[in-house]
Amino acid sequence: MIFNSEISGQQQHTTSPVVTGGSVIALVYNGGVIVGSDTLCSYGSMAAFKNVQKIVQISQNTIYASSGEYSDFQQVVKELAKIDRSALQYDDGVHPSPKDYGNFLARLSYKKRCKINPLYLQNVIAGFHNKERYLALVDIYGTYLESNFITTGFASYFCKAIISNYWNENCTLEQAKQVIRECFKVLFCRDCRAHDVIQLAYVDEQGTHIEEPERVETKWDFNGFKSRANEKLHTQ
Amino acid sequence: MLKHLYDTDCVTWSPQGKLFQVEYAMEAVKQGSICLGLKSNENVVLCSLKRQPSELAGYQEKQFKIDDHMAIAIAGLTADARVLCKYMRTECLEYKYTYESHHPVGRLVFKVAEKSQHKTQSGAKRPYGVGLLVAGIDPNGVHLFETCPSGNYYEYKCQAIGSRSQAARTYFESWFHLFEKSTLEQLILHGLSAIKKAIMEDEELNEKNVEVGILGKNLKFTHLNAQELKDYIAKLETFSPNSQIQQE
Repeated sequence: MIFNSEISGQQQHTTSPVVTGGSVIALVYNGGVIVGSDTLCSYGSMAAFKNVQKIVQISQNTIYASSGEYSDFQQVVKELAKIDRSALQYDDGVHPSPKDYGNFLARLSYKKRCKINPLYLQNVIAGFHNKERYLALVDIYGTYLESNFITTGFASYFCKAIISNYWNENCTLEQAKQVIRECFKVLFCRDCRAHDVIQLAYVDEQGTHIEEPERVETKWDFNGFKSRANEKLHTQ
Repeated sequence: MLKHLYDTDCVTWSPQGKLFQVEYAMEAVKQGSICLGLKSNENVVLCSLKRQPSELAGYQEKQFKIDDHMAIAIAGLTADARVLCKYMRTECLEYKYTYESHHPVGRLVFKVAEKSQHKTQSGAKRPYGVGLLVAGIDPNGVHLFETCPSGNYYEYKCQAIGSRSQAARTYFESWFHLFEKSTLEQLILHGLSAIKKAIMEDEELNEKNVEVGILGKNLKFTHLNAQELKDYIAKLETFSPNSQIQQE
């Protein structure tokens, strides 16, 4: 990726993100990998874009999601799609494996970090290749870590306990989905930049499946909350 | 045909539609000593005959490892071969650095072919005077490619290039139907038998002048050492392709 600003010498450095996406949670389960993310892009503290798809399929057996600057996310999706299209150019039917994408993204992020102009993202690449599950995190510095579960953003603080208690790497798809839904419930309550509409996507032997967005169940009709019994009106 | 009118450079066509400089470059390949390759479902074997410029000199190496999963055998100008070898090694390294996986074989051959073609379309350049046999394994399977100075490349089940390679190709034509299911040992013996057809009457195969490289799905590229070569050459005495048919 070469930007015009780099060529003309007016280098700008991304110091803070503008439009940001929330946490991403990804887990392996028995037979595949599942990724969950909410559908909100915030403009600072404003919940600006509430119906955004932040999990994308980049090849037949790979999905990509990230939290952080949304424009960087869109650019990375384009870059990864370019690699997949190279199979067309060479006419050889060889498609990159999920690990190839993960490593490529790690190299790209590291290069941008070395120029002090990072891709302001925590990236998650998930895939299923050769009967093996693949899940990796690439962070803003270009660190590459393969793992059984990945959390980005606030989920790293709030959700690890839930995952630790209710998930194991051989659970079923339904169990994994429930864990993710529970995590996003907690995030909606505690993370100011979270949303209660989430989207789940999973990859297994049959390929990638990106589900329709769904609303997590949250309860706000507590009597005390409705009647505001404990609030005092201050009249002066 | 007044060849000399049309053969000065690459940018001149002959009236018959030939680029003579490219054709002459292919002749250089035919002057090199023989090298051949053959593949089965699991392995690829490269065999070559090494030349010794004089009694005092060593034997010229003909096979080069490009990466764990890929190797080439060359026929023609060794200096040109070294350039292409370096290019292929660099490409494999960069691919590994970026993707942590092996460069798909067909793609690298395509890149080499592109590079070669470039040299055939310029007034100031000459084509590479070397033909490569590229053996490699990737997720698409087991491969053997040949590249030409013209920029063409072909995939083969087995192929021989260099001087007196027709004799080896004739051997292949008779027996290539056995190669797919051959074991590694049978493949090596076939390769050595084919090379034996191509040597001169007063020459003989020995562990000094023959080079055998092997590659397999779980086998990184290796050369057979002197002792192994001696053993295989000895086995040639009793090897016959007919016995392989009887086994099947």
